[in-house]
Amino acid sequence: MKFGIFFELSVPRPFTPEGEHQVFMNALEQARLADELGFSTVWAVEHHFLEEYSHSSAPELFLTAVAAQTSQIRVGHGAVVCVPEINHPIRVAERAAFLDQVSGGRLEFGTARSSTWTEIGGFGADPDATKKDWDEFVHVLPRMWTEEFFAYEGRCFSMPERAVLPKPLQQPHPPLWVTVTSPGTELDAADRGLGCLGVATAGFAEQERRTREYHRRIQLCDPAGAVVNDRVSTLNFLYCHEDARVGGERGMAMMGHFGLMNAHLLFTREAYPSTAYQSLGNLAPSPRASSTPSPGEGPKLPEGMCLGDPQHIIQAIKHWESIGVDEVNFMLNAAEVLPQDQVLESLRLFAREVMPAF
Amino acid sequence: MLTGSADPGVLAAGAATMKRFDVEPLRLEGVETLQVFCETRRADAEAFLPPALHPTLPPALTWTAQRVSESPWGPFSMAHCRIECRSGLRQRGFLRGGFIDNPEAAAGLSEGWGYALSPGQVDLQAGYHETRLKVEASGAEVLDLSLEDPAVLRPQDTHFVASMNLAHTPNGLRLVQVEAEFEVERAERGRPQLRAFDAEGWHCPGLEPTHPVAALLARGAVTLPALRFVCRPDVLAFAGSEKVA
Repeated sequence: MKFGIFFELSVPRPFTPEGEHQVFMNALEQARLADELGFSTVWAVEHHFLEEYSHSSAPELFLTAVAAQTSQIRVGHGAVVCVPEINHPIRVAERAAFLDQVSGGRLEFGTARSSTWTEIGGFGADPDATKKDWDEFVHVLPRMWTEEFFAYEGRCFSMPERAVLPKPLQQPHPPLWVTVTSPGTELDAADRGLGCLGVATAGFAEQERRTREYHRRIQLCDPAGAVVNDRVSTLNFLYCHEDARVGGERGMAMMGHFGLMNAHLLFTREAYPSTAYQSLGNLAPSPRASSTPSPGEGPKLPEGMCLGDPQHIIQAIKHWESIGVDEVNFMLNAAEVLPQDQVLESLRLFAREVMPAF
Repeated sequence: MLTGSADPGVLAAGAATMKRFDVEPLRLEGVETLQVFCETRRADAEAFLPPALHPTLPPALTWTAQRVSESPWGPFSMAHCRIECRSGLRQRGFLRGGFIDNPEAAAGLSEGWGYALSPGQVDLQAGYHETRLKVEASGAEVLDLSLEDPAVLRPQDTHFVASMNLAHTPNGLRLVQVEAEFEVERAERGRPQLRAFDAEGWHCPGLEPTHPVAALLARGAVTLPALRFVCRPDVLAFAGSEKVA
């Protein structure tokens, strides 16, 4: 079992340049500590226009800073929005290869297509095309990284023969992932030989079903890249405290605030009904489907969340491990609900008391 | 989080009056529903929502028109305008104004589910090349829009959001949560074309639609449900929700 940390870089209102700076500096400090403590990966999402929820619009720059300030921890560029109106595929290939070079071959490369109208509408992208765009990207990016000269005639973009530079340090190229929010995307990942980067926290039963299907299906994959990545990661929240009650309360405050911010996103399906968006793509952990959707129903603690004392967290992770999850990525804070010193102490306690159990 | 800044007392001026909450569900067959989603200016959203509700980012409104061929009150057509919002964690639309062409239906919808609808002519014409909606009140045009270049969607691709209707209720001034159920048989999505919108006529003075996003036409049964929750308009949903069934 590997452990990563996962940054949305959420910023509380009122927005100030100093406030954003503090969020970024706190995240970098958390990344440095995670590197020292033996965490495997720092992930940073790509989002645009998502006020409060995520100000991580240039994650490759954040991750370059992480790479420069750390020595061992891998940098997860994930997920890059693979939609040409948002990111041209050539620039995606160039930036990712550059990050792999300057990080010393530590890049994990995630792919996605965005689930919010806020982003898709903001860039004028075609919601009906994003799945096709993503599929095209994941097939051409490895070729840009591995072929000395690359030419392409495609649906969402074309280019004459050029040398796409630099090439990644990792050979044949960095591991590829796809974010999985909607049921069924794990099959898209498996069919293409991509790692399953869980970014919506599923319950045990749903994750077990996804993982089982994924591992069955990836045996038959036609890899999009030059190498298969068959790892399954899941997203979780972490607040570890010696007092279980304190850990639960503070952790729930963080998780609940994240859920509230997430609920306020304008999802594509809500604005633009489309076959391409069969679910909202909601990223927040959800308790069991409620039969009484009261406006007063607040966030509840879903099963498997790593909020509490070390023993509770060990049990939760053992359960994730037993159903085939290879890596757990943790969100450590949300809009600075938790003071930085508490976040750092939680990380240290986790490393001291929980990591040795795995 | 951003929250609405409209004074509930001012909003109450046009609110419906409900004497009871125990309305029976009402299933309406063969309903044609046109829903148009449109972004609005940032400054508008907070000003048109009560403090209980949060605007979406970006702020948006929907116009919804329904042509109902059979009902306990006879055939009717209605159209309403909502500000899209969140109530706690839930997707909702806050009803700002609407029109209806059948007085008995207007009374029934008002007393049962808190719909505050004014008399008006609602003309919804669905065709193969476009669907046109025109609404007139007191002889003046208050809305003219259309769905153009329709393309077939699967019924499961449609998405409808529950309404929050402000009403004078036995509990006081409350947001009445109406979770209409749609059983869609046929659906089309098209390009929205907005030709005219008299914001004042819809009790939204100054509201400026900026970016029409999508138009949806759905045909099928619509059930107006039994009521389950109401919410105080002056405090956030986590504190102000009340179970009524």
